[in-house]
Amino acid sequence: MSRADSAAHRGRAGITPASAQLWSLLGLGLALATVAPIAWMFVTTFKSGADVFSLGAPHHLTLSNLVYVFTQVDFLRFLFNTFIVSSAVTVVAIVLHSMAGYALARLRFPGREIIFLAMFSTFLVSLPVIIVPLFLVVKTLGLLDSYGGLIIPSVFNAFGIFLLRQFYLGVPRELEEAAIMDGAGYWQIYRSIILPLSRPILSSLAILFFLANWNAFLWPLTVTNSKSLWVVQVAIVSFQGQYSGSWNYVIAASSVVTVPTILLFLLFQRNIIESIKTSGLK
Amino acid sequence: MVQDSFAAGRRGTALPTRRQILTSAGLGTLALATPALATPALARADRPTLSFWQFYAPGGPVAAQAQWFEDVVAKWNASNDVKVTLEYVPNDQYMNGSKLQTAFASGSGPDLFLISPGDFLRYGNARMLLDLTPYIDAAAQRDFPEQVMATRKIAGRIYGIPMEVEPMAMYYSLAAFEKAGLGEADIPKDWDALLALGKKLTTHNRFGLLFETTPGYYQNFTWYPFLWQGGGGIQKDGKSSFNGAAAVQALQLWQESVASGAAPRKLLGGGAWDIVPNLASGYCAMQNCGIWGISALRSNAPSFRYGVFPLPVPKGGRPVTVGGGWAFVANARGRDPETAGRFCAWALASTKPDSVQRVADWCTRAKSDMPPRTSVFAAASAAYGSGLLKLFKDEIYPTVRGEPRVPPQVYKIISDAIQECQLGGRSPEQQAASASQQIDDYLATYSGAPII
Amino acid sequence: MTRSAEGSTEVAAGPPRRRRVTSQRRREQIAGALFVLPDLLGLLVFAGLPMMLAVVLGFFAVDGFGGYRFVGLANYRRMLHDALFLQSLRVTLLYVVLLVPSLYLSGFALALLVQRRSVLSGLLRTLFFLPQMISLVVVAIIWQVLLVDKIGLVSRLSALLGVHNLSWLGDPRLALYAVVFISVWFLMGFYMLIFLGGLQDIPREYYDAARMDGASAWASLRYITLPLLKPTSFFVLLVSTVAAVAGGQAFDLIYVMTKGGPANATALAIYYIYQQAFQYNEFGYGCAMATVLVVILMALTLLLFAFTRGGRFEQG
Repeated sequence: MSRADSAAHRGRAGITPASAQLWSLLGLGLALATVAPIAWMFVTTFKSGADVFSLGAPHHLTLSNLVYVFTQVDFLRFLFNTFIVSSAVTVVAIVLHSMAGYALARLRFPGREIIFLAMFSTFLVSLPVIIVPLFLVVKTLGLLDSYGGLIIPSVFNAFGIFLLRQFYLGVPRELEEAAIMDGAGYWQIYRSIILPLSRPILSSLAILFFLANWNAFLWPLTVTNSKSLWVVQVAIVSFQGQYSGSWNYVIAASSVVTVPTILLFLLFQRNIIESIKTSGLK
Repeated sequence: MVQDSFAAGRRGTALPTRRQILTSAGLGTLALATPALATPALARADRPTLSFWQFYAPGGPVAAQAQWFEDVVAKWNASNDVKVTLEYVPNDQYMNGSKLQTAFASGSGPDLFLISPGDFLRYGNARMLLDLTPYIDAAAQRDFPEQVMATRKIAGRIYGIPMEVEPMAMYYSLAAFEKAGLGEADIPKDWDALLALGKKLTTHNRFGLLFETTPGYYQNFTWYPFLWQGGGGIQKDGKSSFNGAAAVQALQLWQESVASGAAPRKLLGGGAWDIVPNLASGYCAMQNCGIWGISALRSNAPSFRYGVFPLPVPKGGRPVTVGGGWAFVANARGRDPETAGRFCAWALASTKPDSVQRVADWCTRAKSDMPPRTSVFAAASAAYGSGLLKLFKDEIYPTVRGEPRVPPQVYKIISDAIQECQLGGRSPEQQAASASQQIDDYLATYSGAPII
Repeated sequence: MTRSAEGSTEVAAGPPRRRRVTSQRRREQIAGALFVLPDLLGLLVFAGLPMMLAVVLGFFAVDGFGGYRFVGLANYRRMLHDALFLQSLRVTLLYVVLLVPSLYLSGFALALLVQRRSVLSGLLRTLFFLPQMISLVVVAIIWQVLLVDKIGLVSRLSALLGVHNLSWLGDPRLALYAVVFISVWFLMGFYMLIFLGGLQDIPREYYDAARMDGASAWASLRYITLPLLKPTSFFVLLVSTVAAVAGGQAFDLIYVMTKGGPANATALAIYYIYQQAFQYNEFGYGCAMATVLVVILMALTLLLFAFTRGGRFEQG
């Protein structure tokens, strides 16, 4: 940022350098308080069994939990499964939902409002309520115990459609109208104008979809039986044994599972900033 | 402006190729996964294989227990045409989750599975369980004591074969006792002494006493012995027997333990069954836990020094404890119920020595349990002849009464009463009376197997 | 509403123009329908169909093993007298009233705090979002340890302030507040992101102009940010309300942390429905209650939509 830029930026909305620093300090304090519980999780990963719940300093630190997680359990396989499922759902969902959101916001076609309301009403029902009928539907389609059963039902969720529709409603029309008058087809408009414009929101959504599927538990547990299809959350929960706990493995596994998502988030969130700089609106 | 927008579009595709990479990666992944998306060609043998859902194997948390199951199934498969395959469901999901119910509701229930007495009526009343009596010969039937079998029988027919008996007792930390200058002579024999000792052992960072506080079948299970010790019960001849001094004093005991500050409201780990995070970590000095605590402490806190004593008794009461334990059952509407029934009987309830030894191995090597069959005491006399297992066998097991089987609605009525007294501070007299009334209302319309 | 494009191309006059307009309209309709089709189909099969099945099942007594018995309105009548169901509705209402404003305010405040483009803001963004990346099983353990009686960190800190013997998760009077707090901790990063998306959409020129006119921070917030954030605000309020009443996250937390206790203090309606369906084998009754819940939600959202004119907020 240039000197002039930063001066204008700081001057924006009347924030003085001093109060800016105060806000930064407050923000930092709040952030540290937010992640303190998570820091506890990372520290506890290296504690041994009985020490997990004792609140003093650990008697000795050990790598055995991590070793166990990776050697005694096929954890890499579960990480791979989860990655495949989450990525597939994210990619498909982003494409389909941005198309649908754009159509619902901008394109006029018969029955548009009714379709939107119908789609939205599916949003009001959560998994625990429809899990039995959904299981029946998936079973009838022959998708039980397969990657398809894990991926396909998870793609269709009205949340993304709704958010993107709201977003596209707020995008000024000039660009599209000019393109239409130039004779551009709708698919072209979508690809060349709409998609680049929606990069910030799509990036955010990609993170959210990926995370939601990375942490999904109830559906993967219900639809799969084979151990080779396990996702990480099912694996983590399976560490808890009847009457023996093994929380040190649970926490170690959770730490392992959290690291990739942090990395991905760091990767994507810079994308959000960059795309603002290059956005066609400025 | 139009040129700008198209230029922007072009720039968008030239610059961060991140999304492009991801899109092509995603599409590539989808392409790879497409074969898997199609209906999986499950390798179905010409004869059906029986699926056995449980929370031990393969890949369960305790290797010895997983191994036991795998050995049983391997032995069966070696000499039988209809094979059995193990399917593992994580413990908490098996007991409290929806996986089993979802499967049954859509006609995909397992052919073999484990059942606890608490859940028995749900399946029994719906006639989902196979009658196993024809597969168990008379001598073997006699080998299972009545108090162990009673909750798995309907009208004299056997519907489940128990694999273990898990009595409840009190565990205590030797270090905590020693620090307070106490010894074996101070072990409480009655409720007042228990509460007093709990208060005495409470410090600013430790509780003296611990009972289950999370609502659930397990909490009810651990509370019942205190009801029985005073001579109380749930129902008799179709009418509620819950409203009485016994219920009131049992509710009062649990209320007093929390109100006096001796017992915590919230526990660590998974609950009161989880002895390592609570007793072994120093959170409490005495803990109400079951026989499984022995093997749990052995594997996860081997250097922790502890002792066990039987549940204290109220004044004028008699010593009783509750014994839980899971049982093998066969799905009456499964793919091959007859073979499933034969498997259960062969595994656990045959008079052949290998069957008896199998149960003995489960109860003494894979886990630490009391056996469901009297012949196992002889088969594993070494294990039961020393240490804490001997204590359980001599002092605690004789006072065992089987975990009651109640319909879910009755479970909830009792659970609410316990919760309101223990944590909500309500009047035990009122709660007992109200619960009894609700039980009566329910029993008036109940028409299933008897509640024991 | 729209400014004419600069450097506009010539428009042909006469009949060819009418034809082009009609076929243009046609193309728009087809494109719209095609764009929406995959999602529509998918939602129909994997959400609409199960929902309709669930509604139908509300009129049956289902024993969970394949036995269906038509009972008409019996389930609905039972609901009216079910003290536990009514109690669960009350708990849900309290939960919504506490959670939705908390999430809105925290999400908004955090987004304002981290919207600047700096290394620190990037770090803060990640830190605030971190709770979202942890599985709920672990969230439950972590908070259990922090909030546990007597020796938990929170208990120790409050003891320093002279407050003793508070059991956040074990006292029926406090438990729901603890659950709300943990929910906010878990979810605020999510709403922060949503608000960030909306904030970054507001052109910087507006703020620059306001600053040059001498507007204060508060005035900028009130007259520029809030109005332009209306679509986002609407979205956040809607999503958080739906999530609080019927959402999976509310359910997951209760299921893992408190199982509806202590003494039914955190028994949300959705948890009670789950109990009825899966613990008591009353699928039909559970579906009937779920239908009622969905109808309530629908009424709420229709109100919200009507109030905000379809959530459009077209900018002039």
